[in-house]
Amino acid sequence: MGRIVLDQVSKTFGDVEVIPPLDLTIEDGEFTVFVGPSGCGKSTLLRMIAGLEDLTSGAIEIDGEDVTEVSPSKRGLAMVFQSYALYPHMTVRKNIGFPLRMEKMQQTEIDKRVETAAQSLNLMDYLDRKPGQLSGGQRQRVAIGRAIVRDPSAFLFDEPLSNLDAALRVGMRLEISEMHERMRTTMIYVTHDQVEAMTMANKIVVLQAGRIEQVGSPLDLYHKPQNVFVAGFIGSPKMNIFSGPEAEKNGAHTIGIRPEHTDVSMTAGTWEGRVGVAEHLGSDTFIHVNDTGLADMFTVRITGDISVKHGDKIYLTPRADQIHKFDVQGQRIE
Amino acid sequence: MSDRKLPRLLQTPAVLLLLVWMLIPLGMTLYFSFIRYVLNNLRRPEWTSPSPSNWRGFGNYEFVLKSKDFFLAIQNSLFIVCSILFLTVILGILIAVLINKTFPGQGIVRVLLISPFFVMPAVNAVLWINMILDPVLGLQGIAIAGINDVLDGLRQIPILGAFFSLWPEFEPISFRATQTSAIAVIMMVTWQWTPFAVLIFMTSLQSEDQQQKEAAVLDGANTWSQFRFLTLPHLGRPIAIVVMIQAIFHLSLYAEIEIVSRGNGNKNLPYLIGEFANNNIGAASATGIFAVILANIVAIFLLRMVGKTLME
Repeated sequence: MGRIVLDQVSKTFGDVEVIPPLDLTIEDGEFTVFVGPSGCGKSTLLRMIAGLEDLTSGAIEIDGEDVTEVSPSKRGLAMVFQSYALYPHMTVRKNIGFPLRMEKMQQTEIDKRVETAAQSLNLMDYLDRKPGQLSGGQRQRVAIGRAIVRDPSAFLFDEPLSNLDAALRVGMRLEISEMHERMRTTMIYVTHDQVEAMTMANKIVVLQAGRIEQVGSPLDLYHKPQNVFVAGFIGSPKMNIFSGPEAEKNGAHTIGIRPEHTDVSMTAGTWEGRVGVAEHLGSDTFIHVNDTGLADMFTVRITGDISVKHGDKIYLTPRADQIHKFDVQGQRIE
Repeated sequence: MSDRKLPRLLQTPAVLLLLVWMLIPLGMTLYFSFIRYVLNNLRRPEWTSPSPSNWRGFGNYEFVLKSKDFFLAIQNSLFIVCSILFLTVILGILIAVLINKTFPGQGIVRVLLISPFFVMPAVNAVLWINMILDPVLGLQGIAIAGINDVLDGLRQIPILGAFFSLWPEFEPISFRATQTSAIAVIMMVTWQWTPFAVLIFMTSLQSEDQQQKEAAVLDGANTWSQFRFLTLPHLGRPIAIVVMIQAIFHLSLYAEIEIVSRGNGNKNLPYLIGEFANNNIGAASATGIFAVILANIVAIFLLRMVGKTLME
């Protein structure tokens, strides 16, 4: 079990309000990702759930029990830190067994649990090494192992993959998703990387300046962003967002159109522009178009390859059903 | 080859200077320790100038080993060094952990804590033995006289006074006496060197990873467990460094011993060398060789210890 309810939770540091009062419910077994630009308060929110930061006001419930004043270790949560936070003087075996040792568990039971965890994380060969002798990915696994042995009601991940190189990150991403499928335990995962958010989450919470901008499934956020911020944050390359006469023609203050929802032609189309940089990825081509008169730069994404040169004239046609419309406040118009 | 010649050539003066600096004194000490060499002897004036014709073999060593103060000096050297190391490390860790928390006036407290380290050893000894430990005029004497006065007053109280009459008068301790002068030296040097340990430990504590502590909090570790399993291992290397440096310094303590008791009942090897050197340079040199051997034994122990913590 691990249903977590935040009720009017807020946090201020001195005079600075980092998190204005917010409500959020995380259902049992859900993989929830907090995503937002750096400094948006997502890590602070996670640390408040863990009990490492006090709440300024509000309450946190885990499984119907108010844990606002409960000490971190008694909340039944396990956390994986960005820096792994392994204990450098202990072997991998001791590191993973540490929480059990603190519970005064029998040594034989500790050994059994540590080996089970190590087996599931492919750490059997490294049990007697110190963290300093491990690679980044292995350290991350040890940190996860230390969380697993406690059999927590929820896992908290604080940007766990940002210290890994790109290839490892993709691998660990899959492993964590796999782990969630297997264990079906509640997981809260903080990241600034929207690709991680989109690929792993059941539910994404987009935060900006401590406020929740939108809560929803990855595809919800992609297809129906509630406001300009979410529209610009989710999706890669970024959505083209602009105001002006073209937006008003569509009956909105601001409109957004994703790069992949724009058709390209060299002869005719709705908007005209000049090719800036074209990025050829093989499977896709990103073309950055200048001088459209809409936005500083308009990005389009074409599946496959296209031969365009810098300075070529190019015509763009948005797919009418994929235009996102926003009002003056930046809120979505259906 | 030629590209190595120039650097070697440029290094030579420094290397030569070091060799001269170390080997000549050591060689002279060895030489003097095998001959009869005294500063003043009316009956045998030929002994007053060093010469191979005064060869004595291991006679000086035998003389030193048989002198009544030699084993006392060795024992005292080790006792004083080990006690100071033990006390400074324990006190240093406790104080460093205490002032590592943020509190108002932290800067001033830290400066005050470091200040004993800047007092000259001789001044430190004079201050302690005269102003603090003196049984009559020092803080100790005044405090004990004060306690006795209070007790006297209590004895005057009817009924209850009878109970206090059973208490003895407190006696101040003389720290210049044979049995206690080593304790006085240990106290004053500990006072002076604890700040050094605090300084080293404090910098190390500041580099401790806070996320590790948070992880430990989540893992259910209480304050003691955090100290025992995270902070103490983290301090392993600085402890080794403090022990090493202090051992080097305290094996050669001299000023404090001279000022406290002029070596009465409390000699260490350097002090014994000083005493022999008043006249018998041969015996002083032999003692010096013993001191070199002792320092090497201690150094090997310490290097092993430091090496072990560095390996981890």
